[in-house]
Amino acid sequence: MKPAPFEYHAPETVADVVGLLAEHGDDAKPLAGGQSLVPLLAMRLTRFEHIVDLNRVDELFGVSADNGGVRTGAMTRQAAVETDAAVADRVPLLHLATPHIGHFQIRNRGTIGGSIAHADPASEYPAVMLALDGVAEIASTSGTREVPAAEFFESTFMTAVAPDELLVALRFSAWDQPAGFAFDEIARRSGDFALAGAAVGIGTDADGRINRAAVGMLGVGPIPLRASSVEAALLGLAASEADPAEIGRLAADDMDPIGDVHASVDYRLQAGSTLVGRVLAEALAQVSTEAGNG
Amino acid sequence: MADQIPLSMTVNGRTRRGLGEPRLTLADFLREQALCTGVHLGCEHGVCGSCTVMMDGQAVRSCLLFAVQADGADITTVEGLAPDEETLHPVQEAFRDCHGLQCGFCTPGFVISVAAFLEANPDPSDEEIRHGISGNLCRCTGYQGIVAATRQAAAVMKGNEQS
Amino acid sequence: MSQSAAAARYVGQSVKRLEDPRLVTGHGRYVDDIVLPGMLHAAFGRSDLARATITRLDTVEAEALDGVYAVYTGADLNSYNDSLRASLHSPESPAPPANMLAEGDVRFVGDPYVMVVAESRYIAEDALDLVEVEFEPLEAVVDYEIAAESEHHVHPELGGNLAHDLPVPNPATDEAFENAAHTITETWHQHRQTNVPMETRGIVASWQPHAGVMEVWASTQSPHELQLVGARVLGIGEHKMVVHFGDVGGGFGQKMFLGREDMAVLVVAKLLGSPVKWIEDRRENLLASNHARIEQMTVKMAVGEDGSFLAADLDQLEDDGAYPLGGPATPGAMATMLYPGPYRMGPVSWRARTVYTNTCGRGAYRGPWQMESVAREQMIDRVAREIGMDPLELRRRNVLRPEDLPYQVSTGLHFETTISPEQTLEQAAEMIGYDDFRAEQAAAREQGRYLGLGMALYIEPTSMGMGPLGTESAMLRVEVDGHVNVFMGTGSHGQSLETTIAQLVADELGVRPEDVTLHQGHGSGYGFGTGGSRSAVIAGSAARAAASGVRDKVVAIAAHLMEASADDLEVADGVISVKGTPAASMTMAQVAATAYQNSDALPPGTEAGLEHTARYKAPPSTHSNACHICTCELDPGTGKVTLLRYVVSEDCGVLINPMVVDGQIAGGVVQGIGGVLYEHAVYDESGNPLASTFLDYLLPTAAEVPDLECGHVVVPSDTPGGHKGTGEGGAIGAPPAIFNAVADALAPFGVYPNRQPLDPNAVLSLIASSPNS
Repeated sequence: MKPAPFEYHAPETVADVVGLLAEHGDDAKPLAGGQSLVPLLAMRLTRFEHIVDLNRVDELFGVSADNGGVRTGAMTRQAAVETDAAVADRVPLLHLATPHIGHFQIRNRGTIGGSIAHADPASEYPAVMLALDGVAEIASTSGTREVPAAEFFESTFMTAVAPDELLVALRFSAWDQPAGFAFDEIARRSGDFALAGAAVGIGTDADGRINRAAVGMLGVGPIPLRASSVEAALLGLAASEADPAEIGRLAADDMDPIGDVHASVDYRLQAGSTLVGRVLAEALAQVSTEAGNG
Repeated sequence: MADQIPLSMTVNGRTRRGLGEPRLTLADFLREQALCTGVHLGCEHGVCGSCTVMMDGQAVRSCLLFAVQADGADITTVEGLAPDEETLHPVQEAFRDCHGLQCGFCTPGFVISVAAFLEANPDPSDEEIRHGISGNLCRCTGYQGIVAATRQAAAVMKGNEQS
Repeated sequence: MSQSAAAARYVGQSVKRLEDPRLVTGHGRYVDDIVLPGMLHAAFGRSDLARATITRLDTVEAEALDGVYAVYTGADLNSYNDSLRASLHSPESPAPPANMLAEGDVRFVGDPYVMVVAESRYIAEDALDLVEVEFEPLEAVVDYEIAAESEHHVHPELGGNLAHDLPVPNPATDEAFENAAHTITETWHQHRQTNVPMETRGIVASWQPHAGVMEVWASTQSPHELQLVGARVLGIGEHKMVVHFGDVGGGFGQKMFLGREDMAVLVVAKLLGSPVKWIEDRRENLLASNHARIEQMTVKMAVGEDGSFLAADLDQLEDDGAYPLGGPATPGAMATMLYPGPYRMGPVSWRARTVYTNTCGRGAYRGPWQMESVAREQMIDRVAREIGMDPLELRRRNVLRPEDLPYQVSTGLHFETTISPEQTLEQAAEMIGYDDFRAEQAAAREQGRYLGLGMALYIEPTSMGMGPLGTESAMLRVEVDGHVNVFMGTGSHGQSLETTIAQLVADELGVRPEDVTLHQGHGSGYGFGTGGSRSAVIAGSAARAAASGVRDKVVAIAAHLMEASADDLEVADGVISVKGTPAASMTMAQVAATAYQNSDALPPGTEAGLEHTARYKAPPSTHSNACHICTCELDPGTGKVTLLRYVVSEDCGVLINPMVVDGQIAGGVVQGIGGVLYEHAVYDESGNPLASTFLDYLLPTAAEVPDLECGHVVVPSDTPGGHKGTGEGGAIGAPPAIFNAVADALAPFGVYPNRQPLDPNAVLSLIASSPNS
């Protein structure tokens, strides 16, 4: 199990990266944390003539404050996201989802941008980005453009990032208070990809009525999905009175699951909507507590 | 065939130079050129953890890195933990005391992972231990001895720090 | 119990392992660590189709690649065909064609059809990409349940897919069934799993031209099987086959026999005259090493009003895959014969069949006939539910009690008085707190929580004494400085034999364990190796006998030199002293130096030197027994099962090293957890494997495993030292115990599982099928 030969590039600036991508097009592949790409290369399930290593491009690393929210460079390691105080404070959902990614050794190398650009529908960050209406900054030799999460994930493993483009950063805005967030997933074992998962954010007004609801789902479609039926049902309800199990069941309407060796379509619909209800319950409990405290 | 690239990194405190194609994995470089055969290949696709090493202080899967990416890095393998031939690292000692290994093949990766885990979590609960070491697979021990070893090593390392 | 000559000083102690200092520091020497001058690397091209004709195979481009030394196809290697038979496989019994590489057609996904030898594994794999091959797909035989009737034949040479059919009718069962208060029938299914040693298979072979010697390093459980079969493959004598045994990273049965690839490497190393290394990669290991447990048993049981087991009728069917590792075997016959287990069962009739399919070959996997315990223990829980009796009570009514022993089983087995099933059942029930758990379970159900408890009780035939399995030898030599080398035919691959054999020798000879080194492989006498829970009894007894022989001589020499009576001497920790007068003593080193370097000072008539070889022949079987009980909680929303507690009460006779025994049990139990809840080497209906990486073939991690609590009942066996085998037991008891726990948790839904795996998907489907929902 050894990768096929490739030419290696280790640029140090985004300008050089996009230059290489423009030059080599489909034959080139950016290498971020490598935790998904390298196994595919080793098994020769994919191959590229040119590997463009992003690990020496300093400007792609790091979390910074951004209009009350955060901007995370694409090469920010998942381990860095996990322990970043600004992330925990301003984008709690990102913080809550991170420990579910693989294992700590994986998170030491894996990056937020790599995870989102790889766009595995069963992985955590894409669903969080979708739930939070995150924004992707994408660079090419023609400049930088921004793509909102709702337009970013096109189909399984396919995103708005073209072969000659590079995902350089992700931006997440902070929510008004009070708000509650929760993340959970059903995985076969500790650290596995999710059979189904949910990323939930609930915001209320001063009276405790839900005025913002975001439910991102993973593992239940070809791409990460929003549970819009659930979100619609939540809006206007008093957070303390919503019945999460009942509302969670609506999530099945928003799923488009694929069966595989680990779980059937029916399983994902049923267990997935149960899970949405449970995660919802957690977020509702939290927002009620927040409101009580505030 | 792609050109061979000169490589240089610090492995267990010594500079190791070598030559490899870009596709040469760090694991293969460490085994074949740095002669650290304690780096074991159990799956070569990043799941089993047998090849875990420390790179610049962080535990990583060496099968998921190309050697060229580690050029200039500081690597510690399982061979680099024990201070001398008469003394084991507390994690190694604990694995021996608690029967944390049988065939020993997964052990180098576990030892590195546990050492890194305890550095970040010096006083873990049992549940934290079980999740903390869940990135490494063992087929012999049923993990009983490994969990016990992690507990013992945590206690010993904490004691060492306090004394 | 035969009493051993020496007092137990180290036996029974959790002596820290002598293997560990090198292994925890990364200084073990596994086969992939072997590097020889000029060594080349092999890689195999494997079929992507389950069954197909090879219509074109062109290796010209592959051969032309820089760094490639040779490319071989079946036509190049298969002339060695006649010699591939494993030791346990009789040359008379029908078998698939023995070929190293597929020739003309391929018969499972993973079937090797081309082999590249190159200067690196990287280049060898590059060359495989350049092999031009075309296939004409054929319909594959995938479902073993209908394989026997299929018009498509896995091996056209054999004219059918039925490998074995062994019917053993017993008219006595008819009457029992007629008179039974209850007749209950179920078909129990296990599913395809694989051994997954963390070190894959691997071999390095180096031919010495003109010397005619083949030198081999391999990841093997049985260095002598490799020596014997390897020599046969190469057409050389065993005296020219040098098998080095280093560290081996697990096997669980997979490394008892040579694979087709191992044989190809041996042949190619000789053809090329250069050392050749092949290290199986994980995908190859999951696809093409061996699979196991693809079987079902239909059980019909006659049960009396009071729950007594009156008779059983069994029909066992197992999938042998295409090329079973080690040759076609009939574990089903053992599974049916052992079915009565630790119970008074009445007459049993049975039939055992094995079929070929276009899938990876079957091979031994820890407890290869554990289907007997799986089917029986799951059946007993089913019977308990059907007749409305508590499963522990039902077992208590039927279990073999001390007063029933010795016991002649209707299937031909004989249990001596040295088993203790009732004691282990009661110990385990007490450890788990049976009655308290039932109360907790009832209370939890009131709150909509689903707890379950499962148990399994079994007797395991270990250390079997028949045929090539029957003996092991030990050659023991005290060196001039008093340290001890022991040469044995074992193949320790995690079982800690370097320590446990040293403990036995230390006690028997009177030295310290750290003064003893065990050498396996080259230079040792024939033995079948390590597997089948045989090393403690068979190898251990050989080691004891060799040590005892040397001890007698040590004492005789010391008595002569010290002018004392041999009867007054004791030997411990390398010192020979007069009992009660410790000042009067000499060291093992002094005795040894005399024996080798001053032989004129020896007692008259004493042969110079201090060495002894002994061979132990085992009785037909030494039975160990155990009871496993575990509890679980089932999440009805997600189908996930969490194991809460797991207790084992085991009787493996006298424990040599309790820490090692508990470790063996734990490893087996967790393989059982994997088997029932996580692992599945599943194929689709066309024969494509769907779990060919560690992302899909799910080994349990530490996070899925509860703490294991072990209790021991010690009834010594009738073998020297009183030991019984214990390597496989964990993997025998765990699957039915876990299965029964999940079934118990599902009981309120009114559903009856009869097949594994009980993964979340399966559990949720069962709940969905509930008549109560």
